[in-house]
Amino acid sequence: MEQTQMGSLLHTAEMVHFAAFGVMILVYSIRLFWLLRFKAGRDRQMPGERFGDTSISPAVYSMMNVVMPWAMESTRKNLLFYLSFVIFHLGVAAGIFFAFVNSFYPPLFEIPVVAYAFMAMIGGALLVSIIRIFRRFISSVLRLISSPDDYFALFTLTVWFALGVPAVASMVGIVEGEIFLVAYLFATSFFLVYVPFSKISHYLYYPFTRYYIGKTLGHRGSMPAARAQV
Amino acid sequence: MGDEKKSYKVEKMVELLGPKLSRQVVGSLVGCVHCGMCNESCHYVLSNPDDPKLTPSYKADQLRKIFKRYYDWTGRVFPWWVKADPPVTDEDLEELKDIAFGTCTNCRRCTFNCPMGVDTATLNRITRGLLTRVGVMPEGVRVVSKDSWELGNQMGVLKEDYIDTIEWLSEELVDEMGDEAAAIPLDKEDADVVYSINPREVKYDPRTISKAAAIFYAAGENWTMPSWGWDQTNFGLFSGDDALGGATYTHLAENHKALRGKLMVISECGHGYRSTRCEGPNWSQTDQDFVMESSVITMLRYINEGRIKVDKTKNSLPVTFHDSCNNARSCGFYEEPRELLNLVTTEFREMYPNRAENYCCTGGGGAMSMSEYTPNRLASAKVKADQIAATGAKIVVTSCHNCVDALNDLIKHYKLDCEVRQLVDLVESALVLEKQVEIPEVPEVVAAELSLQGQKILVVDDEPDVCIFLSTVLEDNGATVLTAFDGKEGLELARKEKPDLVTLDLSMPGTDGVKAYRDMRDDGELADIPVCIITGRPELRELIYNPDIKRPDGYLDKPITEDTLLRNVRMIFELSA
Repeated sequence: MEQTQMGSLLHTAEMVHFAAFGVMILVYSIRLFWLLRFKAGRDRQMPGERFGDTSISPAVYSMMNVVMPWAMESTRKNLLFYLSFVIFHLGVAAGIFFAFVNSFYPPLFEIPVVAYAFMAMIGGALLVSIIRIFRRFISSVLRLISSPDDYFALFTLTVWFALGVPAVASMVGIVEGEIFLVAYLFATSFFLVYVPFSKISHYLYYPFTRYYIGKTLGHRGSMPAARAQV
Repeated sequence: MGDEKKSYKVEKMVELLGPKLSRQVVGSLVGCVHCGMCNESCHYVLSNPDDPKLTPSYKADQLRKIFKRYYDWTGRVFPWWVKADPPVTDEDLEELKDIAFGTCTNCRRCTFNCPMGVDTATLNRITRGLLTRVGVMPEGVRVVSKDSWELGNQMGVLKEDYIDTIEWLSEELVDEMGDEAAAIPLDKEDADVVYSINPREVKYDPRTISKAAAIFYAAGENWTMPSWGWDQTNFGLFSGDDALGGATYTHLAENHKALRGKLMVISECGHGYRSTRCEGPNWSQTDQDFVMESSVITMLRYINEGRIKVDKTKNSLPVTFHDSCNNARSCGFYEEPRELLNLVTTEFREMYPNRAENYCCTGGGGAMSMSEYTPNRLASAKVKADQIAATGAKIVVTSCHNCVDALNDLIKHYKLDCEVRQLVDLVESALVLEKQVEIPEVPEVVAAELSLQGQKILVVDDEPDVCIFLSTVLEDNGATVLTAFDGKEGLELARKEKPDLVTLDLSMPGTDGVKAYRDMRDDGELADIPVCIITGRPELRELIYNPDIKRPDGYLDKPITEDTLLRNVRMIFELSA
């Protein structure tokens, strides 16, 4: 009986999860439409002296920035922070992948090596997010610039990661029952609805900001940026 | 804050923000995740690590708050959730002014260090522009903007003064070269090169014009200077006023086309180069339809094409190069100066970091015209001072007039053992003319020839140190010097002694310099005595540049050097002779 109730709850969680996904798609579509309504500025000057020096388009180069820690002084000098960024976002990607694929094909996560890999990724992100909470409270700069949205996004993601690890673990029997999986799916649903209104939607803006800064500065010849040479 | 009744100025600012919201700007406004990565890229932060309000994202958040509260959905519904608490009162705008103008030079170093690609410098410029439009700006910005609108150049140089200076320099150069062909051509049509300059060159550093002219002459260039629309600098970049930016660029472009010039060469100036080469067409909403380049590229080309010959051993002191932010980060212009330096100097030492990662001179963004923020500026210059000191160079070379002034200031403040030069100085001093004639330094020639012997000069300044400095320099060069410590005493002495020149401070207790100046101009006996204003408060300039009174014959900002003082005093005597 308990198992039937839990199965029904899991089914409901999955339904809510997909409904929330639909809401997210709808809200993001509206958001994209809103963003595209703003006119794109145009560069009327002739290309700069260094324009065309690189084989890769400056806009594409700029968008690849995320995988080039050497490209910026801020990441080059803070490789540990960059590493924590990678771990954090890998955990996010793993968590989303798990939430969606598990609904369609649970056997994938019953393979021990897959489950352990996902537990490691989400667990790593959990650790980073805890460090980030401390960092946001300890740093006077971050305290000054942080809004309730910044704190809330970090707290809720931490909870989501914390639920994600036992949820994946339950797929290989390390944790008994499906309660964590149900809770994880409800938490994911909450995120899907909340994210478009929060700072977490920065990944939607990343291609815009990086594309345009790359295009604009690339036209002048200052992107890719010339690194300091000794 | 956002629910309170907004002041008229705030209402207007909110309204004015709308048209400025391009897709790029909105991306930068919504894209910040408050990660703090920009923090250590800012020279204000690095020199003042205990002040979190200097972090770039905090500065950008000031505009973000307005945007979120009035243009973005979450902020409109739940402003407290995203800290959308924009300014409400005029007092709030004053605070915003101090942030936007006093704690950021728009150097764009943070932009290049933001993982999200947020262009914080552009956001800060927009904030400045909105404030400027509602009349909230530092006095220096207001005065300079006014000059730019009214006189077409940012230093209030009158057309006749400009032409007088060019003609004076031209005559000097012809004498030096012994060749009429060395004359500086004005308004020559169909020239291959039209040379546009910074008004600072006319006003404070005319030797850079002579040196450039000597190089054009040596290269056998078919060149000219325009008598109008010659100011390549653009205060619109600093004030955020796109309309002023567009108007200034249009003066330049239209005159270039009227002269049917082939190539516009822009003298060494970071913000001038950026404003003219990169931003002007956008501000004026016109496609660039003529070619322009920096004089650095022109000089390099002359050497590479064999049009001029240089001897690098003439510049044997160790030199380092400071990249102007506007040249390097905003225009991708950083290798040519190095190539040129290696051709005209024997020992070039790289400064670290450099190119797009170089630190701002701390005088960018118009900071040199905002005297109220000078203490902050000099405090933030520590990182730059350390960077220069680490090179051990005796000469810091830069391709920007703003950087020259700011670096000179910080070198003095941090007691560094070096001086600042521009590339034109070094190229000219390395120049080998076909006739093997050395080109003497123009100001030095003037200094040697024009003794101040027999000239009676009245120094009016309330600071004893300044009085002593000015008196000593002038007396050492032959002048008879009288001193007065306030305007009243100065006027009495002037009436009694009828000096040949008065140097006048503006800010003094009792009868200040502004009143004394006006009284002098109203006094029939004193009205024609040349006056050189020497002040540490440039914001008072508008009071003496009022159209209803005769303008002063010279103008110098404190601190001044011996060289600057003598050059200007001699120029005043030359022009009034």
